[in-house]
Amino acid sequence: MQKLDRLGWAEGIGVSAFGVHTGIRVSTAGVLPRFLPLLPPGWKKSRRLTVQRLYSLVVPENGQRAGLRRMNILYADSERIARDTDLDQVLAALETDLHRYTAEAAPSMTFLHAGVVGWQGRAILLPGRSLSGKTTLVREMLRLGATYYSDEFAVVDNFGKVHPFSRPLGIREDSTFAQTKYSAETFGAASGVKPLPLGAVVFCKYKSGARWRPASLSLGQGALELMGSSIAVRTEPQHTLRRIQKLVKGAVFLKGARGEARESAASILDISSTGIRREME
Amino acid sequence: MKERQNPKARVDCLSREFGDEILVYDRQRNVGHCLNSTAAAAWKLCDGKRSALELANILTQQLSAPVDESVVQMALEELAKARLLVESEAPVRRTSRREAIRTLGIAGAIALPLVTSLVAPTPARAASCLPKMSPCVSNTQCCSGNCNTNAGKCK
Repeated sequence: MQKLDRLGWAEGIGVSAFGVHTGIRVSTAGVLPRFLPLLPPGWKKSRRLTVQRLYSLVVPENGQRAGLRRMNILYADSERIARDTDLDQVLAALETDLHRYTAEAAPSMTFLHAGVVGWQGRAILLPGRSLSGKTTLVREMLRLGATYYSDEFAVVDNFGKVHPFSRPLGIREDSTFAQTKYSAETFGAASGVKPLPLGAVVFCKYKSGARWRPASLSLGQGALELMGSSIAVRTEPQHTLRRIQKLVKGAVFLKGARGEARESAASILDISSTGIRREME
Repeated sequence: MKERQNPKARVDCLSREFGDEILVYDRQRNVGHCLNSTAAAAWKLCDGKRSALELANILTQQLSAPVDESVVQMALEELAKARLLVESEAPVRRTSRREAIRTLGIAGAIALPLVTSLVAPTPARAASCLPKMSPCVSNTQCCSGNCNTNAGKCK
């Protein structure tokens, strides 16, 4: 770490998001504006002198010797975590690591890996692994009038309410794994601000040709599946279980394979409306 | 010959009630378990002092339905398989689901005891990540946590 500290640092910023304090420093001036849009949603500048995790980004300057591969190198504390000639790729790695660290270290929130939309004053959670089609389903729900909360994390507080993590939607538009970022407004939707109580949780995965006929899960089964989507359950099992217990009261749990997103999105919103009405009565 | 021990629930696990089910988290093995109503009721009674027959009698009163000893044996088997009981010298007697259903009758008043388990994910597995062979520049991007930086692909 001392060796890294001795390098010259042109600019840096302290970042606070969800109670987690991190720092980012860059060796070359002018790079800062490129990673500001990648910071966790709702971030604020932090004036703390000590941070929980310090990112150091070494970017080669224009005047470096010809013939050398111009590598951008990213360190998290003293560990090198990314190295590539393409700065955008390294910034993508910074975004992934920073968001995941924030999710893991947030002191008073539990982060669940799930897409989230707001619907009739309740949150609908769509937990799922990568490439299960969460973002596609979120996009279709936004087109049908839902409010955008997240395509990555459901952030649950101590009262069991769901907070937004509304980064731009990352949509994979072809067979590659590269994502294009879109704002919720692109799909005619607003981004939610207010924490919402939970209405429904839908565990589904895209399967070509499948008909959306979900089975309902019991409260305990649903809570177990949600635990399997929690980022910090291994390090904070007690808080995770307590927040999940508060979260799931009165929620509807559905599970099944889905076909095309548009059809499933309409059905999920419809089932959720029925569940929400029943809960309110 | 060693004396058969009465079943005892582990006390070092975290547990939370969800209606009549219980979610148990085993911190030693990082595994979560959902105990359905019958398994949960049996687990709560396993104090190391009561025998299976005594458990069956108490459960019959608690659940207001006849609970046979074979159903309790089945619950104990499920709980032992999930390692939610203090390990005893004597193995839990195996009762087949078929035998239990026969005892209960087709439309039994209680659910057959069931424990569903799920391994808690690591942060890397739980969050968005790239599958095998997708382009990467960092271990943090890959679900495997392993990026072959020379090839620029997730292992």
